Amino acid sequence: MKEFENAKREYGRIPIPPELDARVRAGIREGQRRRRARRNLRRWTSAAACFAVLLAGLNLSPTLARAAADVPLLGGLFQVLTFVNYDKTEDGIHYDVNVPQVDAAGSLAQRVNTLIQEKVDQHLAKAQADWDAYRAAFFATGGTEEEWGGREMDVIIDYDIKSQSDSQVSFVVTFAEGWVSAMEERYYYNLDLSENRDLTLADLLGPDWVSRCNAAIQEQIAASVDGEGFTFFFTPEMGGFTTVDERTDFYIREDGVPVVCFPEYSIAAGAAGIPEFPIR
Amino acid sequence: MTKEALLAAYLVENQDRFYRLAYSLLHSREEALDAVQAAACRALERQDSLRDTGALKTWFIRILTNVCQDALRQRSRTVPFPETGPEPAWEDPEPPDETLARRVDALPAGVSTVIKLRFYEELSLKEIGEVTGQNLNTVKSRLYAGLKKLRVAMEGADIE
Repeated sequence: MKEFENAKREYGRIPIPPELDARVRAGIREGQRRRRARRNLRRWTSAAACFAVLLAGLNLSPTLARAAADVPLLGGLFQVLTFVNYDKTEDGIHYDVNVPQVDAAGSLAQRVNTLIQEKVDQHLAKAQADWDAYRAAFFATGGTEEEWGGREMDVIIDYDIKSQSDSQVSFVVTFAEGWVSAMEERYYYNLDLSENRDLTLADLLGPDWVSRCNAAIQEQIAASVDGEGFTFFFTPEMGGFTTVDERTDFYIREDGVPVVCFPEYSIAAGAAGIPEFPIR
Repeated sequence: MTKEALLAAYLVENQDRFYRLAYSLLHSREEALDAVQAAACRALERQDSLRDTGALKTWFIRILTNVCQDALRQRSRTVPFPETGPEPAWEDPEPPDETLARRVDALPAGVSTVIKLRFYEELSLKEIGEVTGQNLNTVKSRLYAGLKKLRVAMEGADIE
């Protein structure tokens, strides 16, 4: 047994990378966030169901009409409602899908709904293809039925309304596939439905929006450097942040502050998650 | 303490041993870091499936070993001759060829995982069954087959 003790000692000497702690914590945060997102959407679904009932009652009862206006995010000129919602498991894929639909008159709402539906269709097709390829590879490389067990892949489509006023809405649609990796894609929508157009950072921050954003972002990146000179953010030479432009993603916070977002891994190490910068 | 707080504290506290387990299965620093992070994420996301917090250890090790096994399979899709094994990263010294640790790694994946969990992680055979989703007899036969292959003298060994 001496050999095993030696082996065990060597095992105990496997060096621990200094970034392990940050990676574990990033995993924990991401897991918490995903779990909350799932629970929120359940709440949202029931709120939407209530609203459907309220809608039917609006013409009949002034009391009900006032009550609807008091429900946060459900009042106002228009609503963002769950369009498709299902939670089912089929062929090893667990679908947890909530596709939003902008419910308003005008070509903008129509265009946004079509765009979202296209992305949903693409995403579902890709998830199915990924899963089939994974399963084929699993058995082709010697995996057994026993090891496969009840493996499932999660396909999650969800949305989060960031803010809403009488005529404007800002929301984010998230597409995630959960199995081996844990990548997610987010799409951001900022709409002015009274003017029938997309809101831009220039609308919110004025003509010098590029320099205002860049200054705020650079300041926040500089503030993230810790006492040992470490930060998750890449330098511009390493492909880090240089400047915002028309394609930069953002959403509008409840208090009206735009929050600029960058995809995972784009300007920082994966452990930083999705970097977000409020521009005050 | 809520289940979520308990789980997060447990993961942070035991991160070294999880990393070592992932590293011993993957032999890649980057992949082991990815695996631990992905397993932590999945654990928090799926915390509702942990009904008995007393089973926390086997529940999480199961998630971690599944993530690692998936990473190995992903790799064997892209590396044409996986039996040669990945090149060890330069900063992480590997044990010399003929040591037991190396011979354990050379065993078939299912067998070496059982041996690692038993002797490095000190799980009981029953716990190993829970982690790997195998029944007790399979665990036992894999363990004995592995030990036989390693030709380790078992006198007085604490196998059960």
